[in-house]
This record gives sequence, structure tokens and C-alpha cells, in this order.
Amino acid sequence: MKDSNSSTKDSHPPNGFARKGSSTSTEVFDNSCKVMLIGDSGSGKTCLLVRFKDGAFLSGSFISTVGIDFRNKVVDVDGTKVKLQIWDTAGQERFRSITKAYYRDANALLLLYDVTNKTSFDNIRAWLAEINEYAQEDVVIMLLGNKADMAAERVIRREEGEKLAKDHNVAFMETSAKTGMNVDLAFMAVARDLKMKKTRKPSDPSFNVAEYVTKEQQTSGCCGS
Amino acid sequence: MTTNTLRSVQFSENLSGTPSHSLIHNIDGYGFQRPEGFDFDSYEEFMSSYLTILAKRSARWTSIVRRRGTVSKSAKVKRFCRKGIPAEHRPMVWMNVSGAAQKMRENPGLYAQILKADYDPRLVETVSMDINRTFPENIYFAVSRDRNSLQRPLFNVLVAIGHKNSKVEYCQGMNFVVALMLLVMKNEEKAFWLMDTLINNILPDYYNPDMTAIKVEQEVLGELVRLRDPELHSKIERLEVPWCLVGIKWFLCLFADVLPTETVLRIWDCLFYEGPKILLRVAVTIILINKDKFMRCTNFSEATTVLRNIINDSKSVMDCHAFIQKIFTEPKSFPRAKIKKLRKECITKIR
Repeated sequence: MKDSNSSTKDSHPPNGFARKGSSTSTEVFDNSCKVMLIGDSGSGKTCLLVRFKDGAFLSGSFISTVGIDFRNKVVDVDGTKVKLQIWDTAGQERFRSITKAYYRDANALLLLYDVTNKTSFDNIRAWLAEINEYAQEDVVIMLLGNKADMAAERVIRREEGEKLAKDHNVAFMETSAKTGMNVDLAFMAVARDLKMKKTRKPSDPSFNVAEYVTKEQQTSGCCGS
Repeated sequence: MTTNTLRSVQFSENLSGTPSHSLIHNIDGYGFQRPEGFDFDSYEEFMSSYLTILAKRSARWTSIVRRRGTVSKSAKVKRFCRKGIPAEHRPMVWMNVSGAAQKMRENPGLYAQILKADYDPRLVETVSMDINRTFPENIYFAVSRDRNSLQRPLFNVLVAIGHKNSKVEYCQGMNFVVALMLLVMKNEEKAFWLMDTLINNILPDYYNPDMTAIKVEQEVLGELVRLRDPELHSKIERLEVPWCLVGIKWFLCLFADVLPTETVLRIWDCLFYEGPKILLRVAVTIILINKDKFMRCTNFSEATTVLRNIINDSKSVMDCHAFIQKIFTEPKSFPRAKIKKLRKECITKIR
């Protein structure tokens, strides 16, 4: 609804964007955006990341993440480069004692469950509780129901994910690392949010990432929603 | 879980342990696909000189093994382990110097007994999730119904370890360690006892759910780098790379899936004899030999790229023989008492 930034495709960024020490709009942000992928083991965090980073699907050739893996990608938001520093974490519960200490510096948390695995969905509340305890107040949280392409194996309906996200006031989408559905959107929405936070003047309307992804996303299947 | 799969598998001998077979192939002697951009020229150059060393070591080992058919711990064997165990003696030497052979002798039939008992469904679920995600680029672990597939033995060993060690259960990373053990030992029961010895005697607490030991070890790594090269240490601190994140995978996978296979096996040759100090030596060496690259980094992202690329850095880690020599020279002296003291100091940092 608030499309205040899509009209400016020329060299003048929206909102009179100018950062300290930067003279042109094409300059890369001097601070990058830290995005953490979290969620149960096997929910597809690494596959989602590889799909976004390389546009490929790692069918049968990916390995379980031990500890934390880092990837970087620079994306373009309306002519402004935003550098995403993506932390891919191990899903096994015992690794949280290491990873949760780093929620604090995260700009965004992409929280995944697997729509074909009920446990991974049931654990989302526990994940959210931990986020509330450790992350910053203004962190962007996006709940992602991954593997949405697997219609036959699905056990969590889209509406259930939607409701959970609404109850906790976080953005929600279903994704598929296999088909690529909504994968770029998830990361781009995060990049856009960061850019808006950095460049917004007090008088401008705020950017609502949940509304943005609701408007932009695709839904799976012929009768998806 | 049918009983006919429970007997430990004797692997066929087509699993060649001799790297010389692989000189011209895209798949190495252990079934691993060579990584993208693999530097065949440098590798061939290295192998042509390493084969001479291997032949010499093989002759020396054969002369000490021939007498008794086995080895036990001694200053000579320790020195020999540091110089590398030939593939044909590796399973026997690992079993003996680690103490796994003795454990196996003292507990006949225990492995089969564990596999026959009921399984904890939660453990089965956790382990199962990682079976297809362990070395999928290795021909023996690729998803397949092939009779030679090691996926079932991997599952068996991990589940048996989890049941025997209820405090540890299963920690991600163990899958890569057991998988590489299976490739070398070619025997499921021996891999089980070697892993059991590793987690109970050689690296106690490493795989505990609280992760304390693994966090401490990484802080110790940071302190050792500080002692050896303060300039590099403060550079890494300025890049805001937490020591606690540098080496989780290094220490949990014991460098499997981090360094080239032959290099990992040479590290393990020393590890099973000498214990966790070896892992610290390797970790410190990796940081030190990448000093120039770290010093050129201007931010955190660049530093993580340096860490990611270690496996592809053919020159410094592919020559396993030179690399192992370096781990005993680069970090200088490593007194056990010093490490113990550092561990004690570091435990306060992580709480």
C-alpha cells in the first residue's frame, strides 16, 4: 500500500537518502545487514540460503550444518546496494547455547519450519520465546513455512502458520527452496526494511515488512489461498 | 530394524586406502568427489614426492608391525604416528594406540547387543535426518540402495553410540567423524569402539549437550593465537570474529569436511595417540598460516570468507606431510600444564 519508494528509479533515492560521508546513492552501505536463519534441524535453512545465494536447489547434495556457516550477498533495493551478511545456523537444540548469543546483533531473523514436519512447527513457540529473550526490540522477524511444494506430505496448513505469525505479530510466508517460491522476497523484504530504517525521515510513513510480504508473495498450488 | 542387518559389515576391499590410485581421477581413494576447482597440477606434483615418503614409511612400519602383528604405545610409535600411518596399518594402529582395541576385547558382543535392543525413537529421528546429509558427494554415502552403501552402517554406529552414551546421545558433527572412520576402518564394530573411545577417553565432554567444553576449547585457541602472534590476534578481535564461532566445526568434526581427506587422516594419526592438544595445534596453525589473508581483511564478512576457503587453499593444506610438520613447529611449544591452565581461565569467560 505504501509504495513511496518504487517510483524513484533514477539516481535520486527516495526520501532524500544521504548517509554520513556518502555522496552518491549507489554507494554500498557502510554497515551490512545481519540476517540469521534459525529453526529446527532439517527445516531447510541451508537450502533456502543456497537458493537465494546461487539460484540452485541442493537436492540430495547438501550436508547438515555444524555450528554456523556464513555467506554474503549484496542486493539492490531501488538503486541502493545493501550487503546481507547471512548466518546459517545448526538446527540441533544443543547448538542454540552458542548461537542465541548472536541474536542480539541480528537485524533480521528468518525463522523456518517444515510444513511436512509437525514437530518443527510445534517448536516455533519455543524459538519465538528465545528470540524475545535475546534479540533486539526492532529486529525483523519473519516466519517461513518451508517445503511448501510438497503438497502430498504437507501436515501444516498455510492458515495455521498465518495464525501463529499473527498471534506473535511477525511477518509470514510459505516458501519453497526447491521451486524458489518467495525465497528472494524473504531476503529482499529484509534488505528493504533495513534500507528504510536507515534512510527514513521522521515524517515518512514507516515500512511494514509484514504488510509488504503479504502483498508481494506468491501462494503455492492452484487453490493456495 | 531387522536382525539380518545387525551383524557388523565387513567391507569389500574395493575401498582403496592408497591415494596413489587416485592420481588421475575425480574421485579420491576414499570415494570423495574432488572439490570444484581442485588443483590437479599441484596435487600431482605433491604426490610424486609424497609417494616416496609413503613407501619409506610403509617399510618402517611393516618392520615394527611384523614382529608382533600389533603395536602398543611407545616413544617410537608416537614418533611414527606423527610421520603418518600407512593406509594398510591405519585401522590396527588407531585401534591400539587409542585403547579401542582393548575396550572391544573386554566387551565382546556388546555392539550387536545394543543394536538388537529397542531404539529410542527420538534418537532414531535425529540421526536419520542427518544420514542423507553426510558426505553426499562421497560415492559410499550417496543416497543409494547399493549393497556397498555405508549409510546403514553409519546409522547403526550413531544409534549404538547414542544408546551407550546417554549423556551425549547424538551431536551433529559426529556423523562426519563416524563416516570417515567407516571409510578407513572398513568395519562397523571397530568404528563403533573407536568412536566410543574418542568421546569417552580422548575427547571427554566435547560432544556434551551443554557445549561447554567445545566453547572453552575455542577460547583457548584464541589465547594460544594471542601468545604466539599478538598482532594477528588483535586483528581478528578487531574484525569482531568471535573465537567461539571460528572453530565449532573444526573441533566437532575433527577437521573432517574442513580439510582435505588425507590431511585429516594424518591429523587423526596423531589425535588417537596424543589427544585434544593435536586439534589445538592444527587450529592454531591454520590461523597462523593464513595470517596475510586475515591482515588484509577490512571487515567481518571478508574474515568469514577466509575461514570458508581454507579447504580450497591447496598450497598450505593439501601437502599433508608439510602441514603436519608445521603443526609441530608453527605453534611452538605446547605444554600440557599450560593448556590446562588456559582451559581453567577460559571457562570463566563463557559463563
